[in-house]
This record gives sequence, structure tokens and C-alpha cells, in this order.
Amino acid sequence: MSQSELTVASGHEVLMEASPYALDKKKLGMWIFIVSDACTFGTFLFGYGYMRVGSQNWGTPFEFGTILNGIVMTFVLLASSLTMIAAVRAVKAGEKASANKWLGLTMLLGTVFAILHLREWFKMFAEGWGLFTNPTGGAVQFGACFFSVTGLHLTHVISGVVALLVIMRGYNQGRYDSSHVETAGLYWHFVDLVWMFVFPMMYLMNAH
Amino acid sequence: MSSNREPGMGSYAGIVIGLMVIVGIEVILTYQHLPVRTLLFSLLCLACVEAFVGIMYLMHVKYESRVLFWTIFPATLFVLAFLNYVWPDAYRMAGMSLGK
Repeated sequence: MSQSELTVASGHEVLMEASPYALDKKKLGMWIFIVSDACTFGTFLFGYGYMRVGSQNWGTPFEFGTILNGIVMTFVLLASSLTMIAAVRAVKAGEKASANKWLGLTMLLGTVFAILHLREWFKMFAEGWGLFTNPTGGAVQFGACFFSVTGLHLTHVISGVVALLVIMRGYNQGRYDSSHVETAGLYWHFVDLVWMFVFPMMYLMNAH
Repeated sequence: MSSNREPGMGSYAGIVIGLMVIVGIEVILTYQHLPVRTLLFSLLCLACVEAFVGIMYLMHVKYESRVLFWTIFPATLFVLAFLNYVWPDAYRMAGMSLGK
């Protein structure tokens, strides 16, 4: 018997068992994605650890200027988590103008993070760093690890900004509701938390 | 669905500032010139604290059904723990490099 037949037969509008997670299906889907993505980032970081342990001349090439840039990027990303929470609260309260303001600020902070990141990358390229080159004479795997891990994270940040833009547009047009914004927020916080591992492992562990 | 026990914006701001303080501690530790293993252990512990606080409060797991927590955490940690199988080979490679 199909679901619609069951619905008719039972005389109720919906004949479905409640989710054991008591979660909106979009949020549950996002959690499944987050778990898989956490494993992806974990694999990248373990790969970095593997190459670092296996190399004798890894080196610690980052000057304080690079670390300072990383600290600013970290603070910008953490601040964006706070603005995202404010956006979700505003959407839940039905305050459209406030929601747009906080979502816009979150996207702006995400963009600032991406610009700071790319600026650092281009500075490194100018110094001779690349996927297979190390201007300090150390392990060539450094560039491959650094650009792969930070590149994967940067892709997530840029994707997040685009996703927030799409969600904000849909919310303003009435196509999306608070659950969409909340789900996007979940992704944004995840990207923020991944950076809490990327920054110490890729930047601080390579500072001299 | 999220419950109504969610904290106010002030509490969230406190959590984010707390996370920023932990980042500051990480940077200070980095410039204490600790042995690499000690520094790595310290940074990983602090990053785990940040992740746990973030997941529980910013991602609202504390305010969701406990089933969600027990579905997500053990499975993810299990997978990540098993990634440790790479270390023996990493040390083998390091030994081979020394021998050259």
C-alpha cells in the first residue's frame, strides 16, 4: 500500500513515524554532509602529518607576519560565526531587515577572509612557493600540503558565501524560510570549526 | 527541532570571545619554543576544546536530541581514530631518509 493510500485509509493527513533525531530533514541532511566532510578534512590533515613525519627537512618557514595574517583571518571567521547566529535569530524572529543585515555582514566577513587568504597565497607564489616547489630548500611536499589543505578550506568558505547569497535571495523572495537559513548556518559554523584545526596545524606548527 | 533553552546573544558573544582567547593561547604557546611533540599535543588539545565548544553551542548540538550527539560523535571519532594507521609507515619513511 502506498503512502497516499495509507494516508487516505487512516483518515489522517500524515501517517509517518517522527524522525528519531527530532530534526528538520534539511538539518539532518546537513549533519550527514558535515560528518563526511569532517572525515575528508581529517584525511587531508592526517596526510599532511604523514608527509611531515616522513620528511627529514620539513622546516618552519612562516615568519610572524604570516602568523599575524592567520590570526586576523581566524578572528574574522570567528566573528562571522557570531553574525551568522544573529542572522538565524533574526530570521526566526521574522525580522527581515535585521536578517539581511546580519547575513550580509557574514558574507562580507567571509569575503574578507578569502581576500586575506588569497593575498597570503599570492605573496607565497611570489616568493617561489608552489605545489611542488620550496624556495627555502626544505621538503617539496610542504607546498602540496599547505595549498591542498588551505585550498580545500578556502573552497568551503567561498562556497559558503555563494550559498548564503542564494539563501538570502530566496528568503527575501519568500522561497526559503528560517530552516534554510539555519541549515546554511550549520555549514558556516562547521567551516569555522575546521579552521580551528587548520590554523594551528598548517600555520602555527610551521612558525619559526 | 531546537528547544527554547537557547542562550542569548550575550552568551554567544562570550563563547566566541572565549574561542578567540584560546587562539591567543595557541599563538603564545607557539612562541615558547616547546619541543615539537609537546607543542603539537597542546595545540591539538586546544583545537579539540574549541571544536567541542563550537559543536555543542554554535552548532546547537547541546540543544538538540541526544540521539543526534550519540550518532555523530562516536562514528566520526571512530573514523578519525582509525586514520592513525598511517604513523608506522610515516616513521618508516623517516628512517629510510636518515639511512640515505
